[in-house]
Amino acid sequence: MALEVLTRQTDSGVSVVAPTGRLDVAGAPALKDAISEVVKNGPPRVVIDMGGVSFVDSTGLGSVISALKQIRGGQGELRLAAPNQQVRVVLELTTLDRVFPYYATVEEALTGF
Amino acid sequence: MGSNQEPFEFHATFARLEEGLTILHKSVDALRDSTGRRFSDRPLMLFETALAEIGGNVLTHGRPPGTTRPIEYDLRCDNGTVVAQLSDSGPPAHAHLSTEMPSHSSEAGRGIAMARRLLDELGYERDGEVNRWRLVKKL
Repeated sequence: MALEVLTRQTDSGVSVVAPTGRLDVAGAPALKDAISEVVKNGPPRVVIDMGGVSFVDSTGLGSVISALKQIRGGQGELRLAAPNQQVRVVLELTTLDRVFPYYATVEEALTGF
Repeated sequence: MGSNQEPFEFHATFARLEEGLTILHKSVDALRDSTGRRFSDRPLMLFETALAEIGGNVLTHGRPPGTTRPIEYDLRCDNGTVVAQLSDSGPPAHAHLSTEMPSHSSEAGRGIAMARRLLDELGYERDGEVNRWRLVKKL
């Protein structure tokens, strides 16, 4: 299943980017494209809603690292929300959970953002 | 999985990236169904993660231009041990086998390091013009 990515903006100006499907070597470019669009519009505050991601591989993880670099390069901030068990396992295995503190829900990620 | 249960076996050939990845995941879904394991079953989840890493590499690098040979894939589970075998026609991969986990800022290069940590055994051999990968995990 190809990765689909929807982006919405909250009333407080946070972009919520929501990929759905497998965030893997086939799907990663779609997330990169979506983040590039968000970054074009000024200093971004971004939540990636991982709730619809069924599975992540190292290339998918690379696209999240790329997102972090782009967003920080634009003086913005990134938060990850609602990763499933497999995504959390991969974050921990690669120790990237130290780089991406994640939130249980999108609502939690948006609190105080 | 009881010792009196028939071994689980799955075989496929494929050539395209997304098609191949979908087949790999579906084969693990079929193994889950066959053994009554849940999606949250950790050993099988770790195996599937490693399989997607090696499978993604094979599908990305294992079919250089002009290749007619498809990727060959076999999955077998017997007596609580799952074994996957993949073969491709890409360039030799010896140089990548001992790659360590890169720094946090690196966007690539984690796949084989992850697979080594997730599996009980990651085997590789060059057989003529073919790469043969063997992934083993006790469930």
